[in-house]
Amino acid sequence: MNEYSPNLAVIKKVRKETHDTNTYTLEFSDKKLQKSFSPAPGQFMMLSLFGIGESAISLSGTSNNGSVTTTIRNVGSVTNAVLRLKEGDFIGMRGPYGNGWPLERAEGKNVLIVVGGMGIVPLRGVVNYIKNNRKKFGDLEIIYGARTPDDMLFRYEFEKWKQIKNTRLDLTVDELPIETTSKCKIGLVTSCFPSMKTHHKNAIVLVCGPEIMMRYAAKCLETIGFKDQQIYLSLERRMKCGIGKCGHCQIGLKYVCKDGPVFNYADIKPFIHPL
Amino acid sequence: MNSYNIEKKDMNILLDRFLEDYKVFGPTRPGADSTFDEITSIKQLHLDYTSTVLPPKKFFHPPKETLFSFELKNDKFTTKESIQDKKILILGIHPCDVHAILKLDKFFSTDFSDTYYQNRRKNTVLVAINCVEPSEHSFCSSMGTGPYLDEGYDILLTDIGTKYLVEIGSKTGQKLVEGVNLRKATETDFHEKERRLKLMEKKIKKFMNTTWLPRIARENLDHEVWLDLGEHGGVDGSFPCLSCGSCSLVCPTCYCYDVYDTMDLSLISGTRNRELDSCQLLEYGEVALGDNFRRDRKDRIRHWMLCKFGAAAGGKNSSCVGCGRCIRVCPSKIDLTEVAKVIRGGKQR
Repeated sequence: MNEYSPNLAVIKKVRKETHDTNTYTLEFSDKKLQKSFSPAPGQFMMLSLFGIGESAISLSGTSNNGSVTTTIRNVGSVTNAVLRLKEGDFIGMRGPYGNGWPLERAEGKNVLIVVGGMGIVPLRGVVNYIKNNRKKFGDLEIIYGARTPDDMLFRYEFEKWKQIKNTRLDLTVDELPIETTSKCKIGLVTSCFPSMKTHHKNAIVLVCGPEIMMRYAAKCLETIGFKDQQIYLSLERRMKCGIGKCGHCQIGLKYVCKDGPVFNYADIKPFIHPL
Repeated sequence: MNSYNIEKKDMNILLDRFLEDYKVFGPTRPGADSTFDEITSIKQLHLDYTSTVLPPKKFFHPPKETLFSFELKNDKFTTKESIQDKKILILGIHPCDVHAILKLDKFFSTDFSDTYYQNRRKNTVLVAINCVEPSEHSFCSSMGTGPYLDEGYDILLTDIGTKYLVEIGSKTGQKLVEGVNLRKATETDFHEKERRLKLMEKKIKKFMNTTWLPRIARENLDHEVWLDLGEHGGVDGSFPCLSCGSCSLVCPTCYCYDVYDTMDLSLISGTRNRELDSCQLLEYGEVALGDNFRRDRKDRIRHWMLCKFGAAAGGKNSSCVGCGRCIRVCPSKIDLTEVAKVIRGGKQR
């Protein structure tokens, strides 16, 4: 089988998130492939639009019938073209690739999720997983930072998330427009750490966002007692193959696509801090 | 396996036999430098070369290739793979290059297999030749990849004066020489081979101490040599790196590639292609919205050096084989054996 060849998938549903971001529900056209398809939270797919290119895209959720949702922001040529697609349009898809979040290791522990901007996308699956398997996990705390309240994704799910037992959702933004009714704080995600409920004892931290945010979030967590081994980061790279052959996503001795995209902070610490 | 010998002047008989079944590529000398090119007559063949500009990687992992063509119809698409199954024979490939191919074989077959590489590799016969004259930049003896070969070949030649010693390494190789009237190799031939290879080893003037090298490189991520290489120069007389990517282009184990689509004027069909890429180029580490993980030259040259020292994600499968091509082509005179000496702390700049 040729790993590079994408399979035909159809867009079942499009949901507008913000002015430049949409959530798509995708299904493989091949029913057999669709049945055997079960990605884990944190894994990614290679989406392809012929004539434009291929791009590594995180999954924002899975459903029982095997269809997946992915949330895409318009930031480049492929994502720009994806945002022009409508329900019923076709797209090339291969995967899933990568390791996903260490959910088994998180069992029995308090889970702290620190996300910035689009970083919420690969972690929405984790929140939903915890919701469905509530007893397996301790307290859940989500710290979510975005540019403005209007740039926040999955706003329609925040109320549901807050109702999950023992869950705290903390929202923060860089800018708050004057006319807004939103009650978000202003500041970086790290400014939410002082009021955080999660203690470093028996906790696991899942971080995703721009690399600069992850870098400082991890550093701040370290100063308040979290061990490097407790922190997991999901990295972003512009991957060309998704299967560890094109070399673009190398970080130290690892490929982000094959050995990641989720890494333990202890393993990649020397490589994400500029020297 | 069997061994034979053949007079140098009779090499055309062997070549004609190869030409019957295969498209033959070998070292030619169109100008001052040697290059692997198609051979149709014995006159073109220059087996006494030291090193070619481009490594034979170009036959398996070409600088540019089409992965598949696609056609868009009713918003759906159909793809057609372009698989190469031309049978080729590479004649006169040096031990370092054979070792590089063995490394790439491992690289392109672990975890996910690369169909395109595997197909080309499967249809290739390697007729190697032991080195008897090193280029001034080679340091294969330090890397354990030369100057003689003991694995990975179908047929192995060794220059023993007026004759070539012909050693067979595989069934394909045996089949190839069966029709040819070759004399069995004698004890003297092997003694001569031994003598010449020992002599050859003495001629190599460049060395690199590889003991614990990957680990030393990994532990010296903030060594000042990286800044010197990227910005200041002065590592054994080198100039600052120009980020031209020549080293990756000529490296027999550099595998990185870029993937892009091209579209026909009709806008209904096109191709998906891949092209060799280099971690030395600025665009390599770029991600969405213009962020770049290796924006500084020092980070890029460090990554390349780590990769060649076996301390990057490719591990041993993309590490150096000591062919010396990068040293030869570098416009800034950067020499990785000198870099290795510096990070070992063995040399004061």
